[in-house]
Amino acid sequence: MRPATGATLLLVLPFALLASSPALVSAQAVTGRTVIEALEFEPLVFEQPSADRHEVDGIEILLLEDHTLPLVSVYAYFRGGYGLFAREDYAVAMGLPSMLRYGGTTRLEAEVVDETLEYFAIQASFGSAGSSITSTINSLAEHLGSALDLWGDMLTSPRFDEAEIDAWKGQQLESVLRRTDDPARLAFSEFNRLMYGDHPIGWEFESEDFAPDRVTRERFLDVHSRIVCRENLVLGVTGDVSWSEAEPLMRALTDRLAPCATTLPEAPIPDVRRGGGVFVIDRELEQAVIVMAHATDVRLSDDAAFYSATIGNSILGAGGFSSRILARVRTEEGYAYSASSVWTMPRRHEGILGAITRTRPESAIPAIEVILESMAEMKEAPPTEEELSTTVDQIVNGFVFNFGTASQIVSRSMFYLAQDLPDDWLERYLRGVQSVTPASIQRAFLENLNPDEMTILIVGDVDRIGREALAAFGPVSELEVR
Amino acid sequence: MRVAQERQRRIRLRSARRGPLRIIAAVVLGLAFTLGAPSPIESQESLGERLPVREVTLENGLRVLLLPRGGAPTVSFVMQFGVGGVHERLGTTGIAHLLEHMLFKGTETIGTRDVAEERALFSQMDEAHDELLRAREAGDVGRSAELEESIGRLEDQARTYVDSNEFDRILTRAGARGLNATTTNEATIYFVELPANRAELFFALEADRMTNPVFREFYSERDVVIEERRMRVETSPPGALFEAHLAAAYSVHPYGVPVVGHMSDLETLSRAEVARYYADYYGPGNAVLAMVGNFEPDEAESWARRYLGPIPRGEEPPPVLSVEPEQRGERRVELEWDAEPLLRIGWHVPSAEHDDAAALGLLTSILTGGRTSRLHRRMVTDDRIATAVFSSVGPGDRYPRLFQLDVTPVSPATTVDLETAIYEEIALLASEGPSEEELGRVLNQVAAGAIRRLESNLGLAIQLANSESLFNDWRETFRSTARLGEVTTEDLRRVVAEYFTRSNRTVATLVRPHQP
Repeated sequence: MRPATGATLLLVLPFALLASSPALVSAQAVTGRTVIEALEFEPLVFEQPSADRHEVDGIEILLLEDHTLPLVSVYAYFRGGYGLFAREDYAVAMGLPSMLRYGGTTRLEAEVVDETLEYFAIQASFGSAGSSITSTINSLAEHLGSALDLWGDMLTSPRFDEAEIDAWKGQQLESVLRRTDDPARLAFSEFNRLMYGDHPIGWEFESEDFAPDRVTRERFLDVHSRIVCRENLVLGVTGDVSWSEAEPLMRALTDRLAPCATTLPEAPIPDVRRGGGVFVIDRELEQAVIVMAHATDVRLSDDAAFYSATIGNSILGAGGFSSRILARVRTEEGYAYSASSVWTMPRRHEGILGAITRTRPESAIPAIEVILESMAEMKEAPPTEEELSTTVDQIVNGFVFNFGTASQIVSRSMFYLAQDLPDDWLERYLRGVQSVTPASIQRAFLENLNPDEMTILIVGDVDRIGREALAAFGPVSELEVR
Repeated sequence: MRVAQERQRRIRLRSARRGPLRIIAAVVLGLAFTLGAPSPIESQESLGERLPVREVTLENGLRVLLLPRGGAPTVSFVMQFGVGGVHERLGTTGIAHLLEHMLFKGTETIGTRDVAEERALFSQMDEAHDELLRAREAGDVGRSAELEESIGRLEDQARTYVDSNEFDRILTRAGARGLNATTTNEATIYFVELPANRAELFFALEADRMTNPVFREFYSERDVVIEERRMRVETSPPGALFEAHLAAAYSVHPYGVPVVGHMSDLETLSRAEVARYYADYYGPGNAVLAMVGNFEPDEAESWARRYLGPIPRGEEPPPVLSVEPEQRGERRVELEWDAEPLLRIGWHVPSAEHDDAAALGLLTSILTGGRTSRLHRRMVTDDRIATAVFSSVGPGDRYPRLFQLDVTPVSPATTVDLETAIYEEIALLASEGPSEEELGRVLNQVAAGAIRRLESNLGLAIQLANSESLFNDWRETFRSTARLGEVTTEDLRRVVAEYFTRSNRTVATLVRPHQP
């Protein structure tokens, strides 16, 4: 990627790692701690590319040119996902991206869309999250106009072919049937259901979601008209294209979008489970999957509580080998291949604080104990200065990786725009994490960690794990899998 | 790579001699695609082959590939050793992968407070481990338990001298991303990305671990690998079926042995065996370093010479001479599992270096590459008997492989229904071959893919190192893509007819346990 045409910011990151006086090194033995500690690093100076902001008919479009290769990507972000709809519309709202891709357009049958995309080697992807629907198209630059014409058709004039809807339904029902085949998938879906109940985060497809009256062409058309409309859209463009080339194409695309007929509601606020307890799904498996968490209320925001919790979570267990849970559960005890903490910090509602691992049944209880001990220690004493500096140094020294590709930069800016985050959120984050102290991390855990409220879910062989021993973590209940 | 060099030529899509009617319909409807001139991938050197890679071979045999590019000041490193699952022997399977883990454990000076004290304890715990294996063989449960406890105690004692994960922490503090490694049948690949101003750190650390590795925390890490196997195989229906299928398809060649290793081997691997394996295969003469990103090649070369140049060349790795005999008759394996069914079929085909490799590679796209491919259309779209169908050629590159199909049926369709549909489509392809339209579509995707594969620095470093390590030429990966453009519909028909026979296939099914 070459430097962008947009505004650039000269960024200097003057943090030298292991800075000390240079050492004379023998040509025969250029190894070892002495050599590594003697290294000095120049400050990293780089132009921080940013996307140009344009507007076409009131729709924001972010552009970052990148003429390295003859490829162009166009990204659409629509505010509005399954989390903003009632359960009756869950299947249709979740399935909307798939049907935009596979359901044909009013002009072209589904099969012709497939053939055209594949013949011209156009990559079109569609995805959904709780509060958004996204789509990206990537094409050779020389076919951009035609690719966008087709993509515009798929987004704005979907056919929602009945046969394709039916085929999609069949595949989703098969997926429902297979949910219990993978112990991790089973554990995560049941845990979300336990913690969030009848809230979109806790939803998982069930066969009733695909009842004939719930999944119809008319319902798809209705949900589509409420999400894929002008006011919900942010567009982004990267690649081998200039604004003068892109503008008429973007205009042609946005012209096809109808205004939003209704404003979608805010996502509902979840009532996160309280009270703790141990839940087991008894399966004769060689490895138990363990998920645990309790409700917390640290929100994503530009304040000390958020940054302290974020860095604290990294030190506790989200920071890979430098974090305590992985170091103890994996490196020291050999209990598990993977183990990490989880601390979600949504913007508008509570999140959860907990941990995930999987281990042989006989190690499940010791592993839970080690995780709970590691958590308790975060309350008992502040982390060391070294732990804090390791975590912050990684973010600060690796800041340049936020600018690795044009796609990364534009997608991030689109997300900030769509979610009403400030333009300079990344810079605020960089400053914020550097203001965290060991004491503020300890405070974050003192205020938010409540091991007694921990809900623990285990999918595994309960006899080998030890049914009685599990009671030490709270009342044990068998969970019925639907 | 510079902009000017990469923009010299625009790739052209291949037009089918008999253009697809539906595409024409799309054009009539206003989607005015330009059908380009015939594909240039047939005749010209590809973009990949023209990358300005600087090749340096150090005196100790280490091959260094340097590809400076513009963009953000970061550098992607890939260090690939030419050792993997195929170099293992029965009884010590999984050793290459365990060694991959052990190389993150530090050195004589990194990750330790007193290496001499550690080593003294290694001797004690390794002696206890040797005795443990004898006790297990003798069925002495009591003594085995004592020895296991003793090993655990000694490892805890040794840990008092260990600064766990310091190797990782040094890179983490430097802002590294993606520090990881992977082991395949033919290679062990380490990768990391660093901010450009800290690139020298990679060389200093890599030189240290290639020269002075210490296999500390050995027995707990072996337990970690055992847990990895439990996750990927013992509790994973697709992982277990994959393993059962390869074991049935290969009776002699090590492609039939899981790279992660058999459970009973993992439980007995010793520190001494790992050290010996390291000495045999981890010399610079068996390694390739690829570096792609925003850096000065002169400086990088000088670091390579300075830090990695003094490392002794190491042993010549022993050759792999096992040859899988011709399969005479269909093989079938059934795996009972409390899960919905799965199907896996493999036909024996030649190695990636064989003349038919290009046609077989293209055949994966003809059969399952996208929604218009033959098997997807037949089984997922038309008959609706499968949710997904994938094909691949593997499980390695250098030795005769399998053309593999993985299919997930949709209830109530059975694996028998899937097999019937697959064999019908195979028979059709063997008699008529694909159409020019199908070939054109697939080649257009190959042409665009030849550009897309150049996008990521780390992706490029992986491709360069792998091609050089496996085929002694970093350009080979791009040439093999270019050779796809020479494949004809008749080539495709012929390879299907030749290899996709009943007697040459191995079929694995995962089914619910049968009622007694």
